[in-house]
Amino acid sequence: MKARHIQYFVVSLFVCLFFSLVYADTFGVKKKKLKPHEFGTIVMNNFSEKKFIAPVVFKHWLHRSKYTCRLCHVDIGFAMKTGETGITENDNKNGLYCGSCHNGKEAFSAEEKQSNGEMKKNCDRCHSFEKKVEFKYDFYTFRKGLPQERFGNGIDWIKAEDQKLLTLKDEIEGITIKRKKLTNPKELELSAKALGMPNIIFSHKRHAIWNGCELCHPEIFGVKKGETVYTMQDLFNGKYCGACHGSVAFPNDDCQKCHTETVL
Amino acid sequence: MHSRLILLLVLTALILLSENVFGGNTFNLWPLPSPEEYGNIIIDRTSRNNNVKPVSFSHWLHRTKYTCRVCHFELGFEFNVNATDITEEDNKNGLFCGACHDGKIAFGHSGENCEKCHNGDISYGSEKFPELRSKLPKAEYGNEIDWSQALKKGAIKPKYSIHKDEKPLDFDKLLELRAEWSGISPAVFPHAAHVQWLDCANCHPDIFNIKKKTTKHFAMKYILEKKFCGVCHLSVALPIDNCKGCHPKMR
Repeated sequence: MKARHIQYFVVSLFVCLFFSLVYADTFGVKKKKLKPHEFGTIVMNNFSEKKFIAPVVFKHWLHRSKYTCRLCHVDIGFAMKTGETGITENDNKNGLYCGSCHNGKEAFSAEEKQSNGEMKKNCDRCHSFEKKVEFKYDFYTFRKGLPQERFGNGIDWIKAEDQKLLTLKDEIEGITIKRKKLTNPKELELSAKALGMPNIIFSHKRHAIWNGCELCHPEIFGVKKGETVYTMQDLFNGKYCGACHGSVAFPNDDCQKCHTETVL
Repeated sequence: MHSRLILLLVLTALILLSENVFGGNTFNLWPLPSPEEYGNIIIDRTSRNNNVKPVSFSHWLHRTKYTCRVCHFELGFEFNVNATDITEEDNKNGLFCGACHDGKIAFGHSGENCEKCHNGDISYGSEKFPELRSKLPKAEYGNEIDWSQALKKGAIKPKYSIHKDEKPLDFDKLLELRAEWSGISPAVFPHAAHVQWLDCANCHPDIFNIKKKTTKHFAMKYILEKKFCGVCHLSVALPIDNCKGCHPKMR
């Protein structure tokens, strides 16, 4: 055996060892649950640390208290996975992505002129990872008075919107193109495969308020019933319903929230 | 010199790998505490650091009144000791222990009651145990109580939920899991007995996949490392010392 082969062997052996050590604790146990204020909060770090700036901490709870999911994930074009959008500072300055709203009109911009004429930098308000920043809004204060939910943020967002405790903005001037709204398609009953598992009633109406049609169709779900075949395990792996439910929308722990239909 | 170093590295890696992958002694069962102390834990995340005695918690006492899912699903307690970030403030805000220990459902978080939890004594309350055990169906290990039978026969009536209208999912699929070793009879898993105590989400999808035979590394070796069934069945639920409890046809 040549020396190089031996080297490859040794390296691959250590790679195996590394993975067996690292992987050893990540299966067969329960994952730690996030606290209500942590749920749906993501850290974006495509370029930040490379440029020696703190990564961006994005709070879904704060943004969804004012805007629909559709506005950012369809009209503005944010991807559904952290880091996939690849937002740059230039993009924001050109009015794309975060810059669509964070321009000093809809929401604070990177730099703002204060009443005394001085410029104030707002970098910390987004680039806040592992920094002590005093935020304008506190989660637990916000949560008070909203209908409760068991998991996720502990807020029943659907109910909160239903009871008009939240007013959601669904369009941004200059970005959203106004179209006539489609009427909601029917509610769907999805049959569960496992025997004894209650069926799911899927409400188009409830989803369309936040998502419109385009967020789910045709990429995540086909439009013809029965066309898209998926299992619960796919959902747990972040696909189909799991694209939102589990990371931002209420988590998949709450089985009976979807599996509601009584089996006869 | 160079080749010797490589040889040494190879040997070290192999030894570490074999220890890690092929596993030490499979049948090194954990020593069991006495029946009245089985499932008792000492919670000391911050207590001692704050000059307070750590909390003793007895699973057997609590499970006579509440199912596992009330605390480990609805109230968000983790499965590992000290993994839950419980604080005094949380309890006073009605989270974790404070959800019940509020002075109404159970004794509250007030001055005269400190010692009832913050006593640092793992055998605290064990004098009540013999009487309880005498009323309940017997088992061979652990608390030496057959908790499933006790529930089934109505000898104990633990609450399924702290909310009003929740009831167990009517799911009774019995799984037969083929053992990897020849000569070992299959393990049986009754969903019906587990859903009385637990929520689907207690085990799925973190601990077990929901599709049969897709859970990777599901083996006795790992169960003994507190994974899979071992999350509960080493320290709180009926311990695995009773092989026939899961492998009923084993001789």
